[in-house]
Amino acid sequence: MPLRFLTLVLLAQWAWAQSASPAPDLYRDHIQPLFQKSCLPCHNAGSKQGGLDLSTREAMLRGSIHGPVVSIGKPDESQIYKMVAHVTEPAMPFKGKKLPDADIARIADWIKGGAEFGEPAVDPEGINLAEVSKHWAFRVPVRPAVPVSKIAGGNPIDAFLESARAKHGLAAAPQAKRETLLRRVFVDLTGLPPTPAEVAAFSTSKDPKAYEKIVDDLLARQSYGERWGRHWLDIWRYSDWYGYRKTSQVRYSQRHIWRWRDWTVESLQQNKPYDRMIQEMIAGDELAPNDPSVARATGYLARNWYMFNRNVWLGDIVEYTSAGFLGLTLKCARCHAHKYDPIPQADYYRFRAFFEPHDVRTDRVPGQADILVDGLPRVYDADASRPTYRFIRGNESNPDTATPLQPAVPRLFGKPDLRIEPVPLPVGTYFPDSRKFVPGDLIAQAKANIEKADAELKKAKEKPEPEPLILAAAKRAEAARADLPVLEARIQADLASLQTPVPENSEKLAEDARTLELAANKIRAEASIIAAQYEFELSKKDPKKLGAATAKLEAAVKSLKEPAEGYTPIGPKYPTSSTGRRLALARWITAKDNPLTARVAINDMWMRHFGKPLVSTVFNFGRSGKAPSHPELLDWLAVEFMDRNWDMKAMHRLMVTSRAYQLSSSVGPEEAAQSKLDPDNTYLWRMNMRRLEAEAVRDSMLAVAGKLDTTSGGPEIDETKGHEVFRRSIYFQTSPDLQMDMLQAFDVASPNECFARSESIVPQQALALANGPLSFTVARTVAGFLSPSAAAAPDFVRAAFLQVLNRPPTTAEIAESATYLKEQADLYRDPAKLTAFTTGSAAALKPAEDPQQRARESLIHVLLNHNDFVTLR
Amino acid sequence: MPKLCSDQRSRRIFLADTSMGLTGLALGAMLPRKALAAETDSAAANLLPDGNPHFAPKAKRVIWLFMLGGVSHVESFDPKPALNKHAGQQLSETPHKDVLSSPFVKENLKAFVPGQHHTRLKLYPMQTGFRERGKNGVAVSDWFPHIGGQMHEVSLIRSTWTTDNDHGAILQFHTGHHIFDGSLPTLGSWAHYGLGSMNENLPSYVVLGQPPGDCCGGVGTHGSGYLGPEHAGVHLAVDPNNPLPFSSPGPGVYREEQQKEFEFLNRLNRISGVEYPSDAALKARIKSYELAFRMQMAAPEAIQFKDESEETKRLYGMDQESSKPFAEVCLAARRLSERGVRFVQVYHGGAGNAWDSHKDLKKNHGSLAEQVDKPVAGLLQDLKQRGLLDETIVVWATEFGRSPGAEQSNGRDHHPFGFSVWMAGGGIKSGVVHGATDEIGFHAIENRHYVTDIHATVLHQLGINPRQLDVPGRKRIEVDYGKPIKEIIA
Repeated sequence: MPLRFLTLVLLAQWAWAQSASPAPDLYRDHIQPLFQKSCLPCHNAGSKQGGLDLSTREAMLRGSIHGPVVSIGKPDESQIYKMVAHVTEPAMPFKGKKLPDADIARIADWIKGGAEFGEPAVDPEGINLAEVSKHWAFRVPVRPAVPVSKIAGGNPIDAFLESARAKHGLAAAPQAKRETLLRRVFVDLTGLPPTPAEVAAFSTSKDPKAYEKIVDDLLARQSYGERWGRHWLDIWRYSDWYGYRKTSQVRYSQRHIWRWRDWTVESLQQNKPYDRMIQEMIAGDELAPNDPSVARATGYLARNWYMFNRNVWLGDIVEYTSAGFLGLTLKCARCHAHKYDPIPQADYYRFRAFFEPHDVRTDRVPGQADILVDGLPRVYDADASRPTYRFIRGNESNPDTATPLQPAVPRLFGKPDLRIEPVPLPVGTYFPDSRKFVPGDLIAQAKANIEKADAELKKAKEKPEPEPLILAAAKRAEAARADLPVLEARIQADLASLQTPVPENSEKLAEDARTLELAANKIRAEASIIAAQYEFELSKKDPKKLGAATAKLEAAVKSLKEPAEGYTPIGPKYPTSSTGRRLALARWITAKDNPLTARVAINDMWMRHFGKPLVSTVFNFGRSGKAPSHPELLDWLAVEFMDRNWDMKAMHRLMVTSRAYQLSSSVGPEEAAQSKLDPDNTYLWRMNMRRLEAEAVRDSMLAVAGKLDTTSGGPEIDETKGHEVFRRSIYFQTSPDLQMDMLQAFDVASPNECFARSESIVPQQALALANGPLSFTVARTVAGFLSPSAAAAPDFVRAAFLQVLNRPPTTAEIAESATYLKEQADLYRDPAKLTAFTTGSAAALKPAEDPQQRARESLIHVLLNHNDFVTLR
Repeated sequence: MPKLCSDQRSRRIFLADTSMGLTGLALGAMLPRKALAAETDSAAANLLPDGNPHFAPKAKRVIWLFMLGGVSHVESFDPKPALNKHAGQQLSETPHKDVLSSPFVKENLKAFVPGQHHTRLKLYPMQTGFRERGKNGVAVSDWFPHIGGQMHEVSLIRSTWTTDNDHGAILQFHTGHHIFDGSLPTLGSWAHYGLGSMNENLPSYVVLGQPPGDCCGGVGTHGSGYLGPEHAGVHLAVDPNNPLPFSSPGPGVYREEQQKEFEFLNRLNRISGVEYPSDAALKARIKSYELAFRMQMAAPEAIQFKDESEETKRLYGMDQESSKPFAEVCLAARRLSERGVRFVQVYHGGAGNAWDSHKDLKKNHGSLAEQVDKPVAGLLQDLKQRGLLDETIVVWATEFGRSPGAEQSNGRDHHPFGFSVWMAGGGIKSGVVHGATDEIGFHAIENRHYVTDIHATVLHQLGINPRQLDVPGRKRIEVDYGKPIKEIIA
């Protein structure tokens, strides 16, 4: 641009600024934004790098650890200026690009002019709070007026969408075919397709409320909880335990974490309000301290347990709690202030502080004393005094121990009074083995141990083992027998210690328990010594084993000498109160003035119903996220959700009974113009087509064959059994290392992170459906039960399409299929001419001998591979 | 054909339909990248890789050989006579005691379990001899005579380092991140994401050999993190009968029957296409069945050796009991590579991390070296004689070296501070020794390279600028990209 012209433009702008805006203010217009961008991320009240805080004039004048940084009126003597001008070391911004000359000159001018700070627009940690309220998602949603629309009908969703369509010259597509709609809503709400009878009933129903009735019916089914439970567990990162399987060592998550999965499914079935669900997951132990069925929910936190590093564990909790419930990328503030959102680094650690006291444990469940076999993994506050420190630059070996941080929500939400109050715990919670059922289970276990020891003794005698080994086995049986009175004494002593006032004989009970326990231990030690002695004698011949045998012997002898102190209580005792921190956080997350929670949840639901979210960055509602495509609709739904007391089924109902949901997804020649106008279907003038999720593909196959085992809940099932155990897919083991092969082919959720499933189309899916044993089993089963009542080819074809694809075939499809049945039967008539596969694993169910029947099986097999089977139209 | 919508999905399929053919999109790359991540930036659509290199590539494919457990660098490609000289001495008694106060100790280490692996202070002599090998005379141990004989073909890097002192370093070598950072995209998945396939009938990122256990990255070691599952490595068993999940419908099903089923399916899907003319997913699905049908044929063909000459088999050591299993894996790797598989990732050592010689190093390394020496050397020679080496990068690596000091009486501990990796072919210089460790093999001291420099070198040879593959919302920093090692690039 010619210089003259540039000058003119600048002059013009200057003139405009003179007339239209308040007087120029060097600090406000230039220095503050510059500080904000380039200096405050490190030099704020929270993280004072080099001891320097530039958030207020007073703080700045206090200087850094090296002394004053500004000499008023004299830029050349001011460290700040010299560093940014790269006159002196270290050059600033630290390791960053040098500031533009104009900015450096402004800093000089500003120091010359007195280095005044204007109105405080910045809070002490460098967060520009004025900026906060400018971002839509940080403002509390207010219910917008529903646009008036004549054609929209009664559902406000349609009123909003219709008004948006009208603005863009778009018209809604026609209604979907009845059978298309029925399959859509069935799979969407339950993960399973309708039966042919359900299709027939709906297609011929004259009841104007038929669709609404079906929606209510589906929402009341158990399968709704399983379908939507799986959706939410994607976001909440459900994972069965994993680690070092060779030694069954848990390194991540917890054993029996399926109890949290079952809690999720049940809660949805019961329509537990969403706010209550969040509270139970984050703080169920504090919310209902006496209710183990609520404590199951805290598996949400226990899932993050990591054997080797607590910072990884708590880091995951911070990251996924903020992203999953709040759409906030708090993890970006782990090492430094958030680059896009007004979140200083300290906010990350304050959020972590809510979880700092907590730990994970496994409580006994009725009927099983061994917590390796079964138990309830849950959280509890183990240590209220653990401090939380900011890690300087995110480095865990460099904590800022001078400034312990207290739990607080991110500053951008203001400073709400969280009322963190300790929660006193009942005895059955802080001493879980004092609960009534535990002693009985322990005694049963002790008795079983006696039987086991006796059996081993019997075996040793029968074999017979060498004399010393028989003797050792006899001693072990004796010890097992001695354990029973010991256990009873320990139980007595423990229960007495819990009474108030403590009964007089409690000391004696404790002493008795100790005496008995010592005696039993002695017998056990003797058994070990005998066995070790024997091994030692043997090993004299084998020097390689001598060392180990000697060590064993020494250990056995040592255990005999060790005096026990007191007696062993029957179970661990935990703190008698919880800090209440997590409950306070959960209440804040679910408060009606939290701007994010309801919006994020509505967006998650919307995406799964309509195939596309309203905010495409589902885990990031911050400033670097995308703006909502329909802001008013989103806000209206969010407020509605909260006003309906977080009733999820009500929101599902509202969405799936909207007209938008019921539109056709087809784009024919008539829609071509609209397609050009809104190619991404942002305004939902038609429904979006979707591919079935992995679980829905497998479960639908089983349902079509009438093979689905609808048993709900329970321990995770071996993921290799997916082709022979016909339970719903949600109940199979899933962890980052082990997932069912078939589900993997269809983009099953990564247990580490899955806010939205991928919908890939890859040949591995074709192989899974075309070659997998399950589709053969299903095809042969379906052909088997359809054939008797549909002998003629067209009848069979019709029945087959209805059974598998939930729709009648077209004329063309009937013709093609009938020809296929005939040709394929001809093919099978002469097996000598055919080449059989020799490899792979055959399905349990063999193909039919009769060529015609086998052709029918083949037809069903093809329909299971049909694009429509894995597609929601 | 009606005009397709312009969303990302359709654009992808459109490309596939109009036969981007061998250079572009197939198999895994048929549908969009995880669209959500991409949509954080409005420009994202333009950043999606189109399957073409960013600049002229020197190599088309990669064979990545990874030894699990940690191969001793001082008894393989970086022999240290000083260890024999000071054998049995405490490090503090030798002139090399400074290694303990080196700043590299802190810089290199992010302990998995702090304090679990101590510095081994008593120097342990080399457990095998060494001599100058290859036409260029590079010191290589006696356990690797055949690979040693190929030293004039490779660039040997003796100055690699990593930060995890436990086997999470396996994952780290593939993602560039400590295991504490989770499962992120691996090098192979980046190559797949950036370049797609050269053979429509085979997966483009193939994994051979037994992967590491879940302790140490597990399937994440050939995973794709946020790039999405379609970019993850596909594990093939070197078993023509059952090379990949669901590769055959099983006994009792006829080939002719299946072919008819596929044809009929195709007709039915095309009937649907009349009703849904612009359904891009339907088109992709039809194509995916065509590919699956071909893949089902191609995968077993690729990993059987009927048409390999006895001479070739001998070259790989298939005639010897000890080297036969890995010889088969290496030969399968060549055959896959030859057929256009972009990235073949080969593991040796399995879930038990076989090379992890905390004790009995001599016995352990001796026999493991026998398993891999001939197969790996045979692979290099075979690629060369077929003219494939020019366009194929071969990388030999392991998660870390082993400690110069003894563990127990006869083992070595993990050693992340300096170890050896070599690369050959695909425009990598031949006969170069690059970088060095100190005299006892403790620290990499010359031309130090973190594992991502190896990644950067591989991607550079493939013609990829990793910055152009960035997924919006997934910030990476300089160390994640690494720097191509220009000294070894021809």
